Amino acid sequence: MSASLSVEIGSLRLANPILVASGTFGYAREMAGMVDVGRLGGIVPKTITQAPRAGNAPWRTVETTAGLLNSIGLDNDGIDAFIEHHLPYLGQLASPAIVSIAGRTSEEFTQMAARLSQYDEVGAIELNISCPNVSGGVDFGICPETCRDLIASVRAQCTKPLLAKLTPNVARIADVAAAAEEGGADGISAINTLLGMAVDWRRQKPLLGNVMGGLSGPAIKPVALRCVYQIAQRVKIPVIGIGGIGTIDDVMEFLVAGATAVQIGTANFNDPTVSMRLLDQMPAALAELGAASIQEIIGSLQPKSQPAPNVLGSPVA
Amino acid sequence: MNENCNPLHAPYYADHAVQLTVEVVENVQLARDTYRIRFACPSLAASITPGQFVMLRLADMQDPLLGRPLAMYDVYRDADGAAVGIDVVYLVHGKLTSKLARCAPGQRLEVWGPLGNGFPGQQVDHLIMVAGGIGQTPFVALGKEYLGRQAYGDPPRQGASAGKVTMCYGARSAEYLAGVEDFRACGIDVKISTDDGSAGHHGLVTDLLNAALDASTAGVQIACCGPERMMESVATIAAQRNVPCWVSLETPMACGIGICFTCVAKVRQDDGSWDYKRTCVEGPIFAAEKIDWE
Repeated sequence: MSASLSVEIGSLRLANPILVASGTFGYAREMAGMVDVGRLGGIVPKTITQAPRAGNAPWRTVETTAGLLNSIGLDNDGIDAFIEHHLPYLGQLASPAIVSIAGRTSEEFTQMAARLSQYDEVGAIELNISCPNVSGGVDFGICPETCRDLIASVRAQCTKPLLAKLTPNVARIADVAAAAEEGGADGISAINTLLGMAVDWRRQKPLLGNVMGGLSGPAIKPVALRCVYQIAQRVKIPVIGIGGIGTIDDVMEFLVAGATAVQIGTANFNDPTVSMRLLDQMPAALAELGAASIQEIIGSLQPKSQPAPNVLGSPVA
Repeated sequence: MNENCNPLHAPYYADHAVQLTVEVVENVQLARDTYRIRFACPSLAASITPGQFVMLRLADMQDPLLGRPLAMYDVYRDADGAAVGIDVVYLVHGKLTSKLARCAPGQRLEVWGPLGNGFPGQQVDHLIMVAGGIGQTPFVALGKEYLGRQAYGDPPRQGASAGKVTMCYGARSAEYLAGVEDFRACGIDVKISTDDGSAGHHGLVTDLLNAALDASTAGVQIACCGPERMMESVATIAAQRNVPCWVSLETPMACGIGICFTCVAKVRQDDGSWDYKRTCVEGPIFAAEKIDWE
């Protein structure tokens, strides 16, 4: 008998732990020709904002060693267009839609979440408080108190399961995660991109139109794994691991380190059908550990020894 | 915003694309730093049309990480004329193309496509194709199609025809001219210019275009691909002479399938404003007058 793959994030039940990350899968319809999107554990469509945004000037991405720098700038048509055009499609899929939102203020986040709460098509809401390419939203992911207050404000107006997507560009990510939990988050998505840049030294110019951007892809996987481990040690709510996941080994590493589910991001760009392959490979990987359910392996990491506390925070609360 | 009914803004999507692991059949040098690579992919080859592209990367590699968009050069066929695979022509320019140039037959590539809208198929008296450097890659297939030598697409698309096809091909120097014999073999009238005068006209490809337009009668249409400044000049000439012109944009891409929003270009809207359009799915072929060249 194959192992059970289902997991829960708050009241949201996912058929399996393979999700796709915001900004890397469009609004799902774009991928429907290449991917059986209904098989996914969940779909996080591209982040929406209150008003439409044109996004940043090109170049918007630059490839780096085993990684991708982006400064797209939340190019989207706004929440009205999303609700009108994309939500009906997402709602008819077998996979729950975890709608990613970004606001400039606490009020904007709260209003958007309250509005989305009214729709059955919305499975959960992910608060993007970690996009490095726009001013505003990222501030909520840096200071624990501000983060807690934002989540509490949204929580009061939102009946859907709430995820906080965190930035790694902080000294102690577990502190921010703990604050999100205190504010009422049902789960933590970690991590968003690492702030970086690329330079053309011959022209003496930055390569990205927005000068700096967020680094993603295989290059950041060890950082993401460390963040997920630290957060999972600290909070009781589920953690969704994100960051450079592209192989079944990556998936299993995140689960063992404490993630309840994972989101596939940049790998969708260079391997559009990757999520389907990972789903196919999952049962054999669980069987290799003799696990009857995925629950048995989540957070099953056994540290060799207790690492010493350091500037990025004690690994254990 | 939302000027067409499709909320995804693009009538063309990756909804007919397939992702395949293919093996290199051959990889031959055509000119300095310029190669033609061939791989088998029957279903993709049967459906791709001129001006469409594929994303291509080296299988199982994380550096280089992303695929590169490469236009279909031509479809290769078996003795019965059935599509077997495609050829793409590339200029060695960066990390991936440097590695690609060293690929031997049998090496595995990851490919997805066909992608993008491709050139429209229309009836014209005279099609003038203007290519700068490696921008020549979509024009063998386009010329063959318009001259009625080969049909592309599944079902084979109808409607593209021209009494005459001229290719204005500009390169840095003679050693960079690639595939000239392929163009001539399918009946295309090839005019050449080089920056250094080592072959053909010593000057700009737009000089060739102006001469071709001077010699042409009514029913002429331009298809253009090359460096942005060259395409801007061609667009200006087309506008001055009131000749319809299609340009194939080459903005950097990460995914090729419309999900990453990297490859945007400023495209004019009907109301006079501009919006960022993704060249991978909303292009790469645009009417030249729609482009805001900046």
